[in-house]
Amino acid sequence: MDIFLQQLLNALSLGGTYALLALGLAVVFSIIGLINFAHGELMTTAGYVMAFALAAALPFPLAIILAVAAPVLLAVVMERVAFRPVRGASGTTLLLTSFAVSAILRVLFQNFISARPVPVPMPAALSGVINIGPLHLGIIQSISIATTALMLAGLTLFLNRTVAGRAMRAAAEDFAIVRLMGLRANGVVATAFAISGLLAGVAGLLWVAQRGSVDPLMGFLPVLKAFIAAIIGGLGSLTGAVAGGFLLGFIEVMLQAWLPEAWLPYRDAVAIMLVIAVLLFRPQGLLARKTVLKL
Amino acid sequence: MLTGAGTAAAGRSVGGRLLGMRHFGKAAWVGSAMLALPLIIVGALAETVLPSWGTRLATLFLIYVVAVLGNQIYSGNSGIMSFGHTSFMAIGAYASALLTIAPAAQATALPHLPGWIAALAGQPLVVAVGAALAVVLVVAVIFGLPVARLGGSAASIATLGLLVITHVVLVASTDITRGSQTFFGIPRGVPMWLVLACAVAATVIARLYRSSRAGLGLRAAREDEIAAGAVGVDVVRLRFGAFVLGALLCGVSGALLAHFLGAFSPKDFYFNLTFLLLSMLILGGITTVSGAVGGTAVIVLLVEVLRRIEAGGAFGPVVLPPVFGLTDIGIGLVILTVMYRLREGLFGVRELDERLGLDEAHTVGAPVSAAPPAAAAGVDASLSVEHVGKKFAGLTALEDVDFILTPGEVVGLIGPNGAGKSTLINAVCGIVPPSSGRVAIGGAPVAGMAVHDVPRAGLGRTFQNIRLFRNLTVLENVCAAANSVAGAGDDPVAAARAALDVVGLAGQAARIAATLPYGAQRRLEIARALALRPRFLLLDEPAAGMNPAETDSLMEVLRRIRAEHRLGLLVVEHDLKLIMRLCDRIVVLDKGRQIAIGTPAEIRADPAVIEAYIGRRRAAAPAASPPAPAGQGLPAT
Repeated sequence: MDIFLQQLLNALSLGGTYALLALGLAVVFSIIGLINFAHGELMTTAGYVMAFALAAALPFPLAIILAVAAPVLLAVVMERVAFRPVRGASGTTLLLTSFAVSAILRVLFQNFISARPVPVPMPAALSGVINIGPLHLGIIQSISIATTALMLAGLTLFLNRTVAGRAMRAAAEDFAIVRLMGLRANGVVATAFAISGLLAGVAGLLWVAQRGSVDPLMGFLPVLKAFIAAIIGGLGSLTGAVAGGFLLGFIEVMLQAWLPEAWLPYRDAVAIMLVIAVLLFRPQGLLARKTVLKL
Repeated sequence: MLTGAGTAAAGRSVGGRLLGMRHFGKAAWVGSAMLALPLIIVGALAETVLPSWGTRLATLFLIYVVAVLGNQIYSGNSGIMSFGHTSFMAIGAYASALLTIAPAAQATALPHLPGWIAALAGQPLVVAVGAALAVVLVVAVIFGLPVARLGGSAASIATLGLLVITHVVLVASTDITRGSQTFFGIPRGVPMWLVLACAVAATVIARLYRSSRAGLGLRAAREDEIAAGAVGVDVVRLRFGAFVLGALLCGVSGALLAHFLGAFSPKDFYFNLTFLLLSMLILGGITTVSGAVGGTAVIVLLVEVLRRIEAGGAFGPVVLPPVFGLTDIGIGLVILTVMYRLREGLFGVRELDERLGLDEAHTVGAPVSAAPPAAAAGVDASLSVEHVGKKFAGLTALEDVDFILTPGEVVGLIGPNGAGKSTLINAVCGIVPPSSGRVAIGGAPVAGMAVHDVPRAGLGRTFQNIRLFRNLTVLENVCAAANSVAGAGDDPVAAARAALDVVGLAGQAARIAATLPYGAQRRLEIARALALRPRFLLLDEPAAGMNPAETDSLMEVLRRIRAEHRLGLLVVEHDLKLIMRLCDRIVVLDKGRQIAIGTPAEIRADPAVIEAYIGRRRAAAPAASPPAPAGQGLPAT
């Protein structure tokens, strides 16, 4: 039982990161139908800024602020430069555009920074372990869980209590109507990208905090998994994305704990297969957004 | 020789039922030949005059053509971008390499290989490729089943999952694949005749598939999935077939690429290759085989130039430093350019042969079959709507609607906005199954059927908001429907032309549907429904948005259909004049309930109907004035 609780904590921590990533993808997808491949590069950006800020001996809180601000800025710029020209195009066009943007950014990272991992010297205080009864909870892990909870709560408040947040929820339901109501489309879209950048930045920090280094491909695999999490949750559903993220984290941690050792290298494959198997029974995802069929 | 011919044969036999690869038409063969010819020239040049780097490039080009066409068959026809077909190249590569590896090299490279696999080594390349295809087939079938049920971006991401799964499995299975280390020890080099045969076979398969019934059905679903279902296209089955067929081509390409390279590792079949193949596909234009072949040629040359610049060195007077990743940036920019400026690619949405107008069926002068689309057997069966109700989460949209439509009869369905008219149409044709009651044709229930089976039961429909297959020609729009009801001896193209003739569009057969004027688009929808040889036709607001001239020509068409084909028509319409002139009987819905049924004269005099339309006060006006004065009440005939 204790082992299970321990694993549950691990799942909460990992799943939380996936949930933040999937949520960032879903926020953008729900509004303009773009699956943003370059989301992983936003995450990597946060890691690099953190690494350079710490290397420049900036105070830790300032480093965090910079590391979160950079992907927000990059996300907004990306939308303005790369995605606005294809807004309203088919999902495939949007997907390929972001695929190209992602590849170009990765090569730029490789050329202008380094193809090899750059260390991120996190403060030593973060490497401790808290013992709660029989459970061992890493400080970084607990920060990760707390941050995820904070982000999700904050975003819920934003979406429900502010005008901009309500506009975004409305835009996710029907973008055309939101524009007819006199809200500026560009503003809503830019906000969506800023939020997705923020979520990617936070997820990126949590990711490097646990790994201690950043490389051009860092964001790639977690974001791929977050894509899949978002699909399982039901593309376009924000709660679905969060649920999908936690589900994927849970499956991964449980496989890590209980797969026979010879099978461990296959963990990611098994996890993704299990998740895709869900689609056999729920092709629209777990919490698919109900679309009104106008015939 | 097993590969080229083997794939073609496999395509044909599987094609019989699953893919429906029949009725290619002469134009498709001519188109295949037109595209195969340049490939053969490239192959011949490579063998004779080209320097060795040119031969290498030509071989690589032909190998990529096979893979890009594999992607085109699925992604191009279904409109779903696949990132997963590269993994079938990986599977083809590793499976074939395990069979061709020299036994001596095997002992060094793969000391822990399970005995039964080790025993298979040392096969000739052709045998190995054939066996690799069997492995690819199994994986493609297993994975195709869930993916085929998905559409759009969700399907794309699921194929991405496949790519990751395959990569993880290859890296993790160190005993068999050497993990992330380089796999070596296989005979290097592939004979040109084999590569050329595969490329030509792939081109022919892809081009014929595009024009086959399955290909047309899948392209129709790409344009409008709901309308495709309504004309009898089984979208999931076709997606599955195309996914597997495309996977087989990619498997062949992967096996060839592996032996061309001689040594490779899992990352050679991962994102960079996927990215490269996608850029080839979309640069030329994803929807056509011509585009796939042309785009591959352009990108292969571009990448070669970029690789040389990337390596740095002197170019005439200019000395460049090595630029890492220039190829990737170049490909990325190509994709962005296509997306921003040239969305349909260099070759657009029509094949080369289609542009040249070689397809006789599309030309105006072709003979039109004199026989009108005959209604299916069991002519006297009626369409009965029995106590149909529909609830949406507590909201009652329909309640106890009950009437019968007999062949040759025109029934109008009217009611104020929100009365449930469209819900009833959708319930009758199975898109939104009713929550109570039943719909039957000649006693056989219809409402519980899969959407794509409803047309074969004798029910055709049009949509309130026009749903044409916009990028297909007028004739293709109608053929997609005619195909799904064509029996063994029927000619669906002739049936389609006859249906076009009925609505007066026979002269427009070669036009792209989206370019038709509004009224003609409405009539095309009717022709498409007629091509299903229905016994009953449901028309959802056929005159919506039409000007008086267009409405008149529509009325003419509807009268002809009714007179010549003895169809039962159920017409939803807000244009009450049209309804009163056209219908034998009228059903009136209000707030989901059926408040009246009767002849136009009866309906015009029915107090409940007047109340629903004009309101209580007006309906209860002083008895001195006539019940429905002209110009105020319901319009006269």
